[in-house]
Amino acid sequence: MEAVKADTNNNGAELVRRCRAGDGAAWEEIVQSYSRRIFNLAYRFTSSVEAAEDLTQEVFVRIHKTLDQYDPKQGNLSNWLMRLARNLIIDDYRHRQRNPQNSMADTVDKHSFHLRAVGTSAQKQVERRELCNQVQQGIDKLPPDLRTCVILRDIEELTYREIVDLLAIPEGTVKSRINRGRIELAKILRRMRVVEI
Amino acid sequence: MNGREKKIGCNAFEENLTDYLDRALDGESQRAMASHSLECPLCHSLLNDVKDTLAACKEIASPENHLTGLEAKILERTIPESAMRCEEFEDSLTDYLDGFLPATLFHRWERHAVLCESCTDLPGEVVRSIAACYTYKLDELPLPEGLNERILEITIGTTVASELKPSAISRLKEWIWEIKVPIAVPQLAPVAMMLLFAALFFGQTGGGSIGGMYQKSVELAGQTYQQGAEMVLGKDN
Repeated sequence: MEAVKADTNNNGAELVRRCRAGDGAAWEEIVQSYSRRIFNLAYRFTSSVEAAEDLTQEVFVRIHKTLDQYDPKQGNLSNWLMRLARNLIIDDYRHRQRNPQNSMADTVDKHSFHLRAVGTSAQKQVERRELCNQVQQGIDKLPPDLRTCVILRDIEELTYREIVDLLAIPEGTVKSRINRGRIELAKILRRMRVVEI
Repeated sequence: MNGREKKIGCNAFEENLTDYLDRALDGESQRAMASHSLECPLCHSLLNDVKDTLAACKEIASPENHLTGLEAKILERTIPESAMRCEEFEDSLTDYLDGFLPATLFHRWERHAVLCESCTDLPGEVVRSIAACYTYKLDELPLPEGLNERILEITIGTTVASELKPSAISRLKEWIWEIKVPIAVPQLAPVAMMLLFAALFFGQTGGGSIGGMYQKSVELAGQTYQQGAEMVLGKDN
């Protein structure tokens, strides 16, 4: 919601212009608006709070360096930033898959979720927390190609077209990976007794 | 047995049939109906027909699947070549959920879902799994303590970003960047080209005056004519 707010009234371009002029407050606004969303995206790929923190910092360093390349005519700031963030996070994920010894996230850490308490009982909170942990553990067990597609489609809610552009692979491959990923995740969650008929 | 068993006729049997099936009659009448159905072949047949009809009506009233198990079994036996393999079933699952499965494939897919014990629960599980992902998306992790400050520190060198004000030069640069925007409008491109050409041309003329410009143009025209004439006459320099 914060990210959406930052883009209302077409102020993304104005924010970037102020950043380029060296206005620290404008850059701080961008950081505050998007850091949580980018951190969560990084966490879904790394499964580690520490690794996600490091990755989020790297993403913002890159964003800061490439602000000059932002062109408001090619879309709003939110889309541009998140596209850049996704590219970097997926690149990092692919790199870690190729070099597992560098992986900071092979073990699922015991980070506990701090869920919003509004309108939910303590019991429901515990159940939701448990569910979220199990979904992340299930996603971690997917093969890398399937995992990427499931996160982008069912959590990030990108369209098939956006995933095709992001991963630079044919649409048929994207569809097939999403389908296979969903089935595998459902089977994993069934074994974990998360989804049962 | 009290030796005085109640007897009923076919008309009474028909009249009380519904109550008999609903077990709404008293014990003696219930026994009399059962006894008559065993003695009278016509009423026995009628009883069976009504029972079958009621069972069929129940199936219609609760369609758990579009394709009933019986129908699926009949189709499997009569046209086995149209049966779907489990791999094919799984490959089409997302298309089925998205509603993009062609009609012919749709019916084969549903038939497999009804008949195959190992696949029958899969669609429901996938739907629940997608719902679980959505719940997970809604419950975002909170931002770790101090992360924003660390980002500010490594990008702009301070955590107190508001103290960082744009310099006069950078403000001027942004101001120029803003006013150049209208020139980028395509309709004004020819005007910009003409201005550029004029600037280049004036730069080559003596002093940039109108008189000097005229003198220079006469010289250039003379040179061009001379070069053209030499080319036509085939004269080498």
